[in-house]
Amino acid sequence: MSIENINGCIGCGTCVATCPTDVIRLNKQTKKAEIKYPADCQICHLCRMYCPVDAITISPEKSIPVIVSWG
Amino acid sequence: MKRDKKTLSRRQFIGAAAGVAGALMVGPTVLNGWSENMKKLNEADVAYEDLEADVLVIGGGMAGLFAAVKANDAGAKVMIVSKGRLGASGQTPFAKGIFIYDPQKEKVSLDEFVNSVSASAIGTNNAVYTRQMAEHSLARVAELREWGFFDSPLYNNAFSKPIGQRNIPLIERVTITHLIKEKGKIAGAAGFSVDYQKLYFFKAKSVILCTGAGGFKPNGFPICDLTHDGTIMAYDIGAMVTGKEWNDGHAGKAENAAACFDGWGTMFERKPGLTGVEIHHDLGVDMNYVAYKTGNPVNTRGPGMATANVVGGPYRPAEFQRNGPPEREPGPGLAKRAPSGGRGDRRPPRGGDIPKDGGPPPMMGTSVGGSSAGMAIHKSEGLVPINDQCESNIPGLYAAGDALGSYMAGAIYTQVGSSLAGSAVQGAIAGEAAAGYSSRVEKVEISESQRKIIQKEILAPLKRDAGYSPAWVTQTLQGIMIPNFIIYIKKENLMRAALTYVEELRDHHMPMLRASDMHELRLAHETRNMIISAEMKLKASLMRTESRCSHYRLDYPDMDNENWQAWINIYKGEDGNMQLKKQPFGTWPDGSEL
Amino acid sequence: MENKLKTYNRIAAVVAFIGLPIFLWTLSDVPSRTFLKDAISLLTLIAFSCMLMQFYLARSNNKLLKVHRMGSVMKWHKAIGYVFVTVLLFHPLLIVVPRYFEAGIEREEAFVRMITTFDNPGIVLGLIAWCLMLILGLTSMLRKQLPITYKTWRIFHGILSIAFIVCASWHVIMLGRHIDMAMTLFMLTAATIGIFLLLRNYFLPTPKNA
Repeated sequence: MSIENINGCIGCGTCVATCPTDVIRLNKQTKKAEIKYPADCQICHLCRMYCPVDAITISPEKSIPVIVSWG
Repeated sequence: MKRDKKTLSRRQFIGAAAGVAGALMVGPTVLNGWSENMKKLNEADVAYEDLEADVLVIGGGMAGLFAAVKANDAGAKVMIVSKGRLGASGQTPFAKGIFIYDPQKEKVSLDEFVNSVSASAIGTNNAVYTRQMAEHSLARVAELREWGFFDSPLYNNAFSKPIGQRNIPLIERVTITHLIKEKGKIAGAAGFSVDYQKLYFFKAKSVILCTGAGGFKPNGFPICDLTHDGTIMAYDIGAMVTGKEWNDGHAGKAENAAACFDGWGTMFERKPGLTGVEIHHDLGVDMNYVAYKTGNPVNTRGPGMATANVVGGPYRPAEFQRNGPPEREPGPGLAKRAPSGGRGDRRPPRGGDIPKDGGPPPMMGTSVGGSSAGMAIHKSEGLVPINDQCESNIPGLYAAGDALGSYMAGAIYTQVGSSLAGSAVQGAIAGEAAAGYSSRVEKVEISESQRKIIQKEILAPLKRDAGYSPAWVTQTLQGIMIPNFIIYIKKENLMRAALTYVEELRDHHMPMLRASDMHELRLAHETRNMIISAEMKLKASLMRTESRCSHYRLDYPDMDNENWQAWINIYKGEDGNMQLKKQPFGTWPDGSEL
Repeated sequence: MENKLKTYNRIAAVVAFIGLPIFLWTLSDVPSRTFLKDAISLLTLIAFSCMLMQFYLARSNNKLLKVHRMGSVMKWHKAIGYVFVTVLLFHPLLIVVPRYFEAGIEREEAFVRMITTFDNPGIVLGLIAWCLMLILGLTSMLRKQLPITYKTWRIFHGILSIAFIVCASWHVIMLGRHIDMAMTLFMLTAATIGIFLLLRNYFLPTPKNA
């Protein structure tokens, strides 16, 4: 799932701004970040490193098939 | 035999079960191709904003930072627009080593350094840019140090400091799709917000593209937000583009190939550090050749070592042959030595044997190729500079860093850490040059007719009743372009076949991309840029009928110094078709010597 | 018999306010983290749960506690109060402590960003709860120095406690890392009954011999 979980989010929006591929968005109702476009995650961990409350857990698996040059 | 059958059927069962489970798990993200547009855009809901500056800097990485700062300090009214966040998008956040040439400390002279790079690059480098990078590196690093760049593994704060001090307006999360040319020169740019249904028109006398490189959103390299946007929008208004035949040959780990953080060990968590003179001939397509010839697992003792028992393959100049232990090109083309210190280093390793030398972990188990597929050697691809001022052939249009085809390092990696240094140096040069230009010219208005056309082009995917999903088209393009036998180990018939597919995507899918929100709109425009890039890559690779540096042709395995001491420039012809022509090594586009 | 009841009560208290939250913590599907981070999480959770328990270690719960000497109950109430109020006062800092040991945003920056995210009501409630808790702690410690009678102080302490637990529970439910349905239910139930007991104590005349 790439970005797997967001727990204990305080809704500061840092991860939303930081994600290079725009995977995370703030839910206006809950005031929390949510994983909106998981397929676009490049698993770079910037969101996790910028999160002030360490709310983000990332797994190394990609949610869509991975295309490589040789297998 | 009986047992085999049983095993097989059990495996088949597990496979099928896993397939079903997988399908269920990825349910929401399964890439459907053609479908209805779920939420069609209501045109009345679209907001517009017009902004104005003397110099518009597009991109918020290392080049964009210096371009904005230096253009401002040269007296221009500057604005930065970035599709990501300052210092936290593109490749800059992952570049942990920066080269400095310190004449007090280095044993080699500046001339010797430039000559050595030129020897490794086999003529493919632009020596003026090689020298410029080394000459200015010390001064740029000093400024970075002052801003706190070396104090944190995260760069947003350090980048925000000089921008904030100068009150330079910064617009983030706005994707630029169009450069605007009026009366033969730059008049501005246009794009859209990924957060709101909003279009932006920027009036500017001058634009500096600091848009970075790009790729086909490959797996294992942090470039999935880079799709050669600057190159393609500049190409669209008549700029010349170069370097599309070269390849960055980074491979990745087979296990979780897409996880670039994990692939680079603790590299992304380190504070940046410095590198000194150390010239190589690295990370072209040697490993791709070995994989092509012998299959996987590739002998992964490192680039340059893998060829030991394979005949032929990419040529490496004798003085850059590898004898010692393998060395790796760590990071997105950057630091080799472990940048020093930092809290980051104290973090316990997350499993696996992570080396202390700053490189990615030795590839444990099997490797896979194409980690950075679609990206060339840093600074070998991008806009063609017409002089040493990072200026393009469009008056008012400048580029710096990976968006500029400066050939600073040549068509192969020659100096570790020079990529990041080069972005800083070129950003500063372009910033000053663009400020000078904008002080000399009058502002050009953006015509109403252009505005209408651009609006329509930006919003088109949102307005379609149905269409292809950008994700599906991207994946189809990846399937065509990424195989080792297409972009890395090249031969004519396969490239022609791939080109036919790519042209089909260009003519039949690109005009039918759909988007149901602003995120997908960005994907749609990125997909378009990747398709045009793929066409450029194949056409340039077909044209270069020789092998040199990071371009390898199975059907033309030798270097052809008689015909190919030349770079390939790509531009849009009068008829709108892609044109290619040679520019001899060691010359500027007008034919004058460097 | 009385001793047995006392033991049962003690076991029940530990099970309900320490065992149950730990059990729910292990059940939640939040990924486990480093030992330090998980230890801090658990400590904070137990500290909050013990604040809930305070409502039951009080005169308002005299029916259940009739087998115990009120003096000894009060001793526990005080000890638990001082220990866990201290833990919770440091809780905002504890959150950024792991940043000493890993790369990422600077701990000072993380802390400031965290306590200034005023557009999130969860943070605002947390800040209010933190202040109320500070007052609770100080006015308990300095009760004898205060120019008010014990009776007035008790009412003041009770009202402050209710205000605190409402803000704090709300804050925890909105922002807690290990908050899920079960944990929410546990906290709401414990808080509601606790508040109810206290209010009953104030508004209903208690029979003297109870």
